[in-house]
Amino acid sequence: MTKRLSFIFLLIFACSEKQDETDIDSSNNTPFNTISSSDSGLNFSNDLTDTGDLNIIEYLYYYNGGGVALGDINNDGLDDIYLTANQKPDKLFLNLGNLKFKDISIKGGISQEGTWSTGVTMSDVNNDGLLDIYVCKVGNYKGLKASNELYINQGNNTFKEAAETYGIKFSGFSTQASFFDYDNDGDMDMYLMNHSVHSPYSYGNSRLREKPDQVSGDIFYENKSENGQTKFVDVTAQSGIYNSALGYGLALATSDINNDGFTDIYVGNDFHENDYLYINNGDKTFTESSDSYFNHTSRFTMGVDVADISNNGKLDLITLDMMPYKSEIFLKSGGEDSDKVNKIKASFGFNQQYARNHLQLNNGKYFVDVALMTDTYATDWSWSPLLMDYDNDGLTDIYITNGIYKRPNDLDYIKYLSTVDFARYAKTTQDTLEQKLINTMPTLNLPNVLLTNTGELTFTNSKVDKANKGTYSNGAAYSDLDNDGDLDIVINNINENASLLENTAKNNFMSIRLLGDDKAINTNGTKIYLYANNQTFYKEQTTVKGFLSSSTAKVHFGLGELASIDSLKVVWQDGTQSITKNPNINTLVTIEKENTSNFQYNAEIDFKFEEFEYQHTENKFLDYERDALIPENLSLEGPSLVQEDFNGDGLEDLFIGGARGQEPVLYLQNRNGSFIIKTTPAFVEDAAYEDTDAIAFDIDNDNDLDIYALRGGNDYQEGHEMLEDRVYINDGKGNFTKLNSKLLSTNGATISGYDYDKDGLTDLFIGNRSIPGAYGLTPYSFILKNKGQNNFEIASKARFGMTTDSKWADINNDGNIELIVVGDWMPIKVFSYSETNKFEDKTKYFGLDKTNGMWNVVEIADIDNDGKLDIIAGNVGLNFKWKASLDKPVKMYLDDFDKNEKLDQIIFYDFFGNYVPFASKDKLMEQIPLLKKKFTNYKSFSMVKEITDIVDKPETDILETKYLYELQSMIYKNNGETFTPQPLPKRAQLSTIEDILVDGNKIFFTGNHKGFVTELGEASSNSGGIVEISENELLNYSSLKLPKDISGRKIVKVNENKYLIITNNGKSYMINR
Amino acid sequence: MVSPELFHASVDKVMEIQIHDIFSPPVASRVFVYPNIAAYEILAQKTPEMESLAGKVAELTSIPKADKAINLELSALIAHMELSKSLIFSEDKMEVLQDSLYKEWTNKNENEFNISKDYALQVTDHVKKWMNADNYNQTRTMSKFTVDTDDPSRWQPTPPSYMDGIEPHWNKIRTFVLDSAAQFKPKRHPEFSLEKGSKFSEELIEVYNISNEITAKGDDSEEIEIAQFWDCNPFVSVTRGHFMFATKKISPGAHWIGIAKIASTKSDANVAETVNAYTKTSIAIADAFISCWDEKYRSNLIRPETLINQHLDQDWLPILQTPPFPEYTSGHSVASGAASTVLTAIFGDNFQFDDDTEVPFGLPIRSFKSFNLAAEEAAISRLYGGIHYMAAIDEGLKQGRNVGDFIVSNIKMKFE
Repeated sequence: MTKRLSFIFLLIFACSEKQDETDIDSSNNTPFNTISSSDSGLNFSNDLTDTGDLNIIEYLYYYNGGGVALGDINNDGLDDIYLTANQKPDKLFLNLGNLKFKDISIKGGISQEGTWSTGVTMSDVNNDGLLDIYVCKVGNYKGLKASNELYINQGNNTFKEAAETYGIKFSGFSTQASFFDYDNDGDMDMYLMNHSVHSPYSYGNSRLREKPDQVSGDIFYENKSENGQTKFVDVTAQSGIYNSALGYGLALATSDINNDGFTDIYVGNDFHENDYLYINNGDKTFTESSDSYFNHTSRFTMGVDVADISNNGKLDLITLDMMPYKSEIFLKSGGEDSDKVNKIKASFGFNQQYARNHLQLNNGKYFVDVALMTDTYATDWSWSPLLMDYDNDGLTDIYITNGIYKRPNDLDYIKYLSTVDFARYAKTTQDTLEQKLINTMPTLNLPNVLLTNTGELTFTNSKVDKANKGTYSNGAAYSDLDNDGDLDIVINNINENASLLENTAKNNFMSIRLLGDDKAINTNGTKIYLYANNQTFYKEQTTVKGFLSSSTAKVHFGLGELASIDSLKVVWQDGTQSITKNPNINTLVTIEKENTSNFQYNAEIDFKFEEFEYQHTENKFLDYERDALIPENLSLEGPSLVQEDFNGDGLEDLFIGGARGQEPVLYLQNRNGSFIIKTTPAFVEDAAYEDTDAIAFDIDNDNDLDIYALRGGNDYQEGHEMLEDRVYINDGKGNFTKLNSKLLSTNGATISGYDYDKDGLTDLFIGNRSIPGAYGLTPYSFILKNKGQNNFEIASKARFGMTTDSKWADINNDGNIELIVVGDWMPIKVFSYSETNKFEDKTKYFGLDKTNGMWNVVEIADIDNDGKLDIIAGNVGLNFKWKASLDKPVKMYLDDFDKNEKLDQIIFYDFFGNYVPFASKDKLMEQIPLLKKKFTNYKSFSMVKEITDIVDKPETDILETKYLYELQSMIYKNNGETFTPQPLPKRAQLSTIEDILVDGNKIFFTGNHKGFVTELGEASSNSGGIVEISENELLNYSSLKLPKDISGRKIVKVNENKYLIITNNGKSYMINR
Repeated sequence: MVSPELFHASVDKVMEIQIHDIFSPPVASRVFVYPNIAAYEILAQKTPEMESLAGKVAELTSIPKADKAINLELSALIAHMELSKSLIFSEDKMEVLQDSLYKEWTNKNENEFNISKDYALQVTDHVKKWMNADNYNQTRTMSKFTVDTDDPSRWQPTPPSYMDGIEPHWNKIRTFVLDSAAQFKPKRHPEFSLEKGSKFSEELIEVYNISNEITAKGDDSEEIEIAQFWDCNPFVSVTRGHFMFATKKISPGAHWIGIAKIASTKSDANVAETVNAYTKTSIAIADAFISCWDEKYRSNLIRPETLINQHLDQDWLPILQTPPFPEYTSGHSVASGAASTVLTAIFGDNFQFDDDTEVPFGLPIRSFKSFNLAAEEAAISRLYGGIHYMAAIDEGLKQGRNVGDFIVSNIKMKFE
């Protein structure tokens, strides 16, 4: 009996339009050839027939497909193939060489009943030198009764099922198992990842993960051999593994993530549950640590692999999700959570997740996602990522299987097509109704994807498709099946023959077979370092990877042009190492565990920082609740920071301005370099103001530094007293009192001072951030002329952008001062002041007119030491969903399109070759309801490519259009008259740059920004770094090694080698560099 | 040549499109009322019993006068269809009905059709101008409801879709007959308190206990039938893993528009009487939603589902899906109270009827001895459904009846 009424009504459609998403624009510039099954003998197809009792409505993972295991079961040097099927029997194929295979399932003793197999793993479970096979099943559900099977290798190409004897006969929702040695005692323990089937009706509370579940919870088994008999014992509870129904485990990898000699576990969970990273404590327990290793992860995680992508000797990680890459699919699929739902999930205790692939780079301490920058984030409904060097060029590539036989996230389907005809509803016809419901569901047929690593964090994307018609591919595994020195791939497809991709790569390679000793025959987890020509290549021997599958146990290195290897270091799981000098290449090398010496793991020590006591606390204002179409919240500005000697003791003090509700603070520096707060009543009284910037100069002409504190906030209308600036007058000893005056009440962003009229008094530029409530429109910015006696008058005002920072400098050294201003949706603006021309806009003259970006900071310095001032500017970076160039800028159209006296911002950006609207249909229609008439379904909306597809006025009649041409953080090098752009290195483009400090030939920066709406995602992949300009003007990047997940706002040098970083809504850090 | 059935057909079509296009209950009430008023004002010119609403309904001025050759009934129907078409989204669905009728009329008497249509369009323009000044467009882009999970009494989005609170500014929509949205502000709900023995806490536990009792009785119990019958949730999303779909139904207002149709048909109402019944019922419903939404976003009260999941039973699900707006007062109770009062004034008390409105949604016919009894059942269905506390039902019904009474005393209701 169903309690929820809504579940009772099943279902007929008025509409039975067949919807196919067929993708045929595939190209074959990959090293792969497809071998047909008639040539290979690999006759296997995971066919699904709807039997009525089980379908996607009754079992949510009905279309998840089958897996592949590749391994040498008869030790003849050729890896054999095991393929799992859901309704049909699994098959075992013996490799006969030359890519010919023979089905030995029946003789081999493999069960030939179709009992819904899922993941498969080949591993020597009983330490006898022969590969055994463990097959996961869905059982104990509806008509499915089977339990997981363990096929013990008998040594003569036959197997005996012995799961019960070994203690791992589990019946439930198993996805995949991995065998690895968690306690380094030489035998294989087992992690069994299971999935959940209960409908995620509500997010519930993350504490639910403490509640055990018999059929869905993951299980950890320790191998406890007794009297020579291998026996697995359930140690889930005492080892710290979650065993709850909250885990929709679909992805599993076991690797030494933190490089301490103990194997860790990554579990990718579907839906709202976090992915788990179980760090092995080395004492038979794990600590789930995803929060301290990742800023965010995939939401609907479906596959995972771990390998060194950037050749820095550290293991990186990829997880797959279902983000489309074709605009017409993207625009009619469910996208990211709304900002509100995102907040609700956070309040329930779930970590930040985005529905896109994640390519997580390991920096030694934690991971940062680079999927957006590398354009690896969207490969549609994706299952199996396989990280390997397919073209043997020495760089790790990514192979991805994708496709879904029935695509249930089509919004037309959810909102319009699946409408129920209740009149014809009757319980007896439920099966027929379900059938119709399923038949109307759109399909998604796509070619698989090869992302070829071309170095420097770039990948080229090519589609791998044997028949140019797309597949529904799930599990996949790689191995050099024909022993020709490159990796071939086997893929399990739904309703189609399994694919065999022969690799024809030519470059140099090295293949390694590891032989353990008697104590530990199975070498899973062994690390291999290869040194050649000042490069290190690092791989870990792990077999469970991708999705439902396990790949070869041989370790393969592509070497490109390298003709020789200096040495090969093998670090065994027990902490010993074997080193081989000058091993042979272009062949299979066998390394035996002998002549070992001890290996020392180095704990990461260079993330050293101390906390500084200041903590910035942002007030809660959610801009997106007021302006539904905006891409970023503007109320995460500040803190402001001024570093000057306020009390005349020769030491630089700090004035830090807080957010609304937090008073400004004055820190006086002591002789010993420490700082002490000087309590100032005038500051305490002004706690209600939001400080965005500040400047210190002698306002009252008494030879000390006073403070002009710029106030702002996107929460009050212009003119509101809560936006009014303040002046604090210094008595020379660091005692400040408020000056009674009437100052500007705007959303201020930047203040900078210079005596442009040479009357001996510092004049001011005040740049404003926004017109609150009208994101995109340009507020006035002001020149305030200092009239003396604490008086300022507005000498000039102009609208030129949503400013963020400003500097005064004579950049062309002609004696006339320039004012340089940056901001969002604007170029780096340069105004030159002269008596005759006043403030003349010379942006174009200096060649900077097409530099519109999301600029956060600008610095002026002679960075290349050529006597000319250069411009260094921090932008949003490249690790961003929006891409921008001169040819394909991001465009923001501003107008009151529906004439309801509220500004509408309609943004378009280039999405894999097509312009798409940034706002989803739902969001746009909510803001402009009349559009619902134009787009009565999602399909029509999915065709939108330009603004005139949405609004009726011609583009030229639109009130205002703003552009973004440049998203990179840049140096503009001064050539005398014009500026030559030079992007900062790629690693400096991983996140926003919010502040810059030029120190000699080094650019110190700090960044990250959490103000972007969920659809764009927070920028959190680089807390800070250093770019050093070398003699030959090359830019070298190094990390500042700051903590993860901070929003750096200010960086100042407080002493020799000592730098202070202040963050938005967080702690402050002092570092020595 | 224009029968009451054609009017019913036009109203039914609007209802059908509302379901497809997915209108929230307050917005649906707006879609019904303006086309009805346009048709009413046209017919009022030749029907002495129909007193023009100009001057009675806020800011409505007299429509252009029709000349003698115009078939007013035909104009009224055309105006109803045209204005409805501008309010719904899937215009093509309305055009299907229009096209066949227009063709038929053109064949019969092309000249009469043309001048009647021209006149209908003039009136449509007039009413549209008035309609467009009701603040609907402005309220589209006002601030969203801000969730504050730190306030234990404040409404939070509910599973499974965790939708935003809908129409937080509906009280800024111009009222029709009411002086203001707050004219019949209900008394404050029992003070939020989870202390044992407090009125609020007792009402919370009552929701939980009643839900458990009727669930134990099974799907065939009277209470579950009542809850289902009056569900009237335009968009219930159903989630099975990645697989999602929606079940859609008419809104509470639409259900009462359906009852107005049943009453008109049963009393053999002519075209004018039919339009009179639709118009006054829809005015009552529209004002009822403005009044109710005014209170909803004044009190911003948390739904029983959220509290029960937090404090009593993590796995509890209400029998009906909790709709996405604050709890107090019950929208269905207010709308039912107002609509039933107006229908009683038009058709009399103790008007027995068989309510088959929900038959297209697989639900049975329910019979009622009077509109008032039907309204009371609609109200209590929210308790059975597990989506409202008792206070929201009692006070909501009172609020609705106050709205209804005020309308009855300000506008002439029936033909005499």
